[in-house]
Amino acid sequence: MIAAITVSLSSSFVQFSHADSSDSSSVHTNNWAVLVCTSRFWFNYRHMANTLSLYRTVKRLGIPDERIILMLADDMACNARNKYPAQVFNNENHRLNLYGDNVEVDYRGYEVTVENFLRVLTGRHENAVPRSKRLLSDEGSHILLYMTGHGGDEFLKFQDADELQSHDLADAVKQMKEKRRFKELLIMVDTCQAATLFSQLHSPGVLAIGSSMKGENSYSHHLDSDVGVSVVDRFTFYTLAFFERLNMYDNASLTSLFSSYNPNLLLSTAYYRTDLYQQQMEKVPVTNFFGSVMKTIHTVSAYRGMLGKDSSRAKFVASSDQSYNTDAKSIASDPEKQVDHPEIKDVERGTCPHADLWNAFVEKVQSIKDVDNFVNYGFVGLLTLVAVSTWQSS
Amino acid sequence: MARLLSIFAFFVFLLHHVASKSTGELAVEQKQQQLEGGEEEEFTEELLFRPLPDRKVLTHFHFQSKVPRTDSYGHHHRLFPKAVYQLVHKYRIKEMELSFTQGRWNYESWGGFDPIASSNAKPPGVELWAVFDVPEDQVDASWKNLTHTLSGLFCASINFLESSTTYSAPDWSFRSLSGNLRYGSLPREAVCTENLTPWLKLLPCRDKAGISSLMDRPSIYRGFYHSQRLRLTSGEFEPVASGHGIILDQTLTIVLQPDALETSAAFSSSRKLQPSWSMSSLFGRTVEGKCALAKSSNVYVQLEGSLVHNMKDIWNDNEGYGGEGLPYEGFGSNPNFGFSVSPDTMMKEVNSFHKEGSSILYGFSIKDYHGSKPFDLGFRWKLPVSWSCVKAPLRASRFLMGSGNEKGAIALSLQSTEWSESLLKADNNEEGCKLRVDVFQVVPWYIKVYYHTAKIFVDGISQSLVDVVEKMRVSPSEDKVSPGVMETILSLPCDMKSASLTLEFDKGFLHIDEYPPDANQGFDIPSAIISFPDFQTCLEYTHDNTSISSPMVSKMKEKRKILSYTEVLLVPLTTPDFSMPYNVITITCTVFALYFGSLLNALRRRAGEEERLLKSKDKNTNKLRLLLSKFSAKLRGKAWEPPSTVTQSSSSSSPKLISSKVIMKIVLIAAIGFGWQYYNG
Repeated sequence: MIAAITVSLSSSFVQFSHADSSDSSSVHTNNWAVLVCTSRFWFNYRHMANTLSLYRTVKRLGIPDERIILMLADDMACNARNKYPAQVFNNENHRLNLYGDNVEVDYRGYEVTVENFLRVLTGRHENAVPRSKRLLSDEGSHILLYMTGHGGDEFLKFQDADELQSHDLADAVKQMKEKRRFKELLIMVDTCQAATLFSQLHSPGVLAIGSSMKGENSYSHHLDSDVGVSVVDRFTFYTLAFFERLNMYDNASLTSLFSSYNPNLLLSTAYYRTDLYQQQMEKVPVTNFFGSVMKTIHTVSAYRGMLGKDSSRAKFVASSDQSYNTDAKSIASDPEKQVDHPEIKDVERGTCPHADLWNAFVEKVQSIKDVDNFVNYGFVGLLTLVAVSTWQSS
Repeated sequence: MARLLSIFAFFVFLLHHVASKSTGELAVEQKQQQLEGGEEEEFTEELLFRPLPDRKVLTHFHFQSKVPRTDSYGHHHRLFPKAVYQLVHKYRIKEMELSFTQGRWNYESWGGFDPIASSNAKPPGVELWAVFDVPEDQVDASWKNLTHTLSGLFCASINFLESSTTYSAPDWSFRSLSGNLRYGSLPREAVCTENLTPWLKLLPCRDKAGISSLMDRPSIYRGFYHSQRLRLTSGEFEPVASGHGIILDQTLTIVLQPDALETSAAFSSSRKLQPSWSMSSLFGRTVEGKCALAKSSNVYVQLEGSLVHNMKDIWNDNEGYGGEGLPYEGFGSNPNFGFSVSPDTMMKEVNSFHKEGSSILYGFSIKDYHGSKPFDLGFRWKLPVSWSCVKAPLRASRFLMGSGNEKGAIALSLQSTEWSESLLKADNNEEGCKLRVDVFQVVPWYIKVYYHTAKIFVDGISQSLVDVVEKMRVSPSEDKVSPGVMETILSLPCDMKSASLTLEFDKGFLHIDEYPPDANQGFDIPSAIISFPDFQTCLEYTHDNTSISSPMVSKMKEKRKILSYTEVLLVPLTTPDFSMPYNVITITCTVFALYFGSLLNALRRRAGEEERLLKSKDKNTNKLRLLLSKFSAKLRGKAWEPPSTVTQSSSSSSPKLISSKVIMKIVLIAAIGFGWQYYNG
């Protein structure tokens, strides 16, 4: 009897959830944000202002403090050089104090390292690490990862001491995907040559926005002569300009965010990588990542959360195929959006231009009759090299 | 009787469990609580202002939360912060103190003898100590977990204290009975809003109502000194039921400079009028009523003994009036200063330790103030007055000696103050008066202190250690394992002018990964603690010969030894050129790759096989290959022949090449390379 009821219940729910879970493996459960400022020292004030501006924006749009991991590499607010103690501004009009009364910094100072950053992403912490320092996302989470600092071709510097490489980032994201730590991930990077940081990403469900293409610099927006340094970067400034017009309930899509970047104002070309993301940009609201807007599911009876989850998962395979197709179509329709990765293709071709020259060299070496002699010479040469290097280093 | 009570408590407890309805639960629980502890949870808020001689104002907030001891776990709290309660129970903390400080307490002009100076003057950065009620072997584990939890709770990098190189276990110099005590400090930790906010969240009214609503962040952090402290005392784990529950004291001490706006002083004398101040001029805010949950909320203004004494003199000079106790009486019409609000109580110090004068404490209750009638205390000086604070017996300072990146010396200098001189006068009939000084100093392992080089100079004359050092415990540092700890009791003659203790050290080297990102700035040696156990600070106030039951006043009454912290030392260490390892790695790898690559290629090559391959490929001639072979032929100085007509002469030698002799040589080289890496890597 009971079994019959459950079967009927679940079957009814399957019908119900069919319409609901059109394009997702799991229901969107929560939103997380990881905001990282990787630069130390006073003259990098603007990087902290960038991060805090984003922090304020996501908080305003509904992500609570316990779901924001804020990493700030230095203390600017109470820095001895700061004329305005306990205040950080991102505009010279000083209208908005970003360092209000309620900032929760999870990692700061020397704790902001590549190791800790990767630990946060992958969730591989020591047992003693408190909950507030962990990214406790699940397979239905949408995560916003914002990073700013000084970077270059396929790397981002952390505190002038170590680097996060594009491979590290891609590996961490891959691991996150395998561990089901996110459903959708938006990586936003404001640094020089930001686009190169995304070149190794291969995990599905990842969107990436960078402030500049390979070979381009990202510039600061303006200098505040009272604070004495530049207070905000251009890319972040125009991102904030876009978000200041929004509130939690707006349906502005990601496409409108992308199209708001004007290369003439940014002085660099903003870069979007959308090929790993299965949904149409036009239909995804920005609050998907920058806010915390839950989808309300109306149920007839009181609580059937577990049943709903299972059945929606079962529906996934077919629906995701559809979304792939639509995505492919959308890509085909506007090719100018797709950005090539010339450097990757080069690597994939696999032929080194020096190979032929090398072969010739080897041929020449081979023509030396006495191989034993050659080995001996090499050995002696190696010994002298080692001796010289030891002498140099001591 | 107690037994009867406990039986009754047990019965109530049973009743409470049996009662299935939740409606009566709270009442029962409260009743039970009252029966067991005899008291309820309690919260008091207090604020103290004290004018300082160097035209600054000391502001001292004091919040106390108390929870009585209960046996039921998972107890709901009305006022006491749950996070702290859980912390105490999880790590079985008996006592704990955590302070966040920026700036350095000026012992010279802000005082070194009063209770606030000895308990609220803290070293810069973070200082944490805790006493655990766990077996000896679990203390370190508890400490590690505690540091992580606190770092999460207070948004600070306190978790850096988990490493055994950063904390120490003082034996007797830090506190007299200190089993299971761990002490650690982080001198460079930044202190800002994010640390104050979680601290405020422990208060029942946060910063929304009551005295804490004064805390305007920019005003606080603009100050010369601010120290935020959290002190826990728990009697939860004492076997006897008489033990109190948990007492949580939260203090915030700020030294602010009031804006001297009213300089309309009619006095043409050289002595300037002290700046007047008010709550709204210091913080830009006023108090709109008390925190509704607080048992008492009071504001005090404290005037030091010497100030009262000097004011009396001025009064006498100006008016020629010989009234003895004038500054005490009629606080509204005092000729020296005036309050904007008339004080509710006036308390006088009793049993004054100092000869000069006894301090006064004015009390204001903010019970009757509300939003439309906010409390804004103002303090206005009418006559210029100057005074000086009571200083610690000896002025302690610490500095570095020597130059270069190899070695140096730490010197600790103790200089007598007028206070010790007056002491001398008092005691000069006694022969061989001695002043006891305790020194506790922790030095990181990369500063390798040689304790045998300790030298003591009294008035510039070298003394033998045996004469001066009464007791000494030294645990030398162990590289990358533990810091060097020195605990010493010095007994110095009372009539000395200055004494100094020097210790030589060598600077160590860190591993490349251990350098912080700003290694060029130098490394910090945490403050040393100098205490004077012969002297105890104690301020006792009475009002109409009745003692005052305020936590802040009773805290002042507690006898505690005089403490002072020395400066943090900044030691520049040799920092490597951080790009050097990359250069070395790159060049070494290139050399090895060139050698082994060519060697292997030469050995593994099968010429005959390749020629056959070439022949088969010959039909579709590769232009580039042709060009290259032409080029190489030119390099060799031979006439170029088309690949089709390559002679087959060299094919015969190839199988012979891979002889056992060659393999032996490769193995030898590999072994040498491996050995080299192993011993030098």
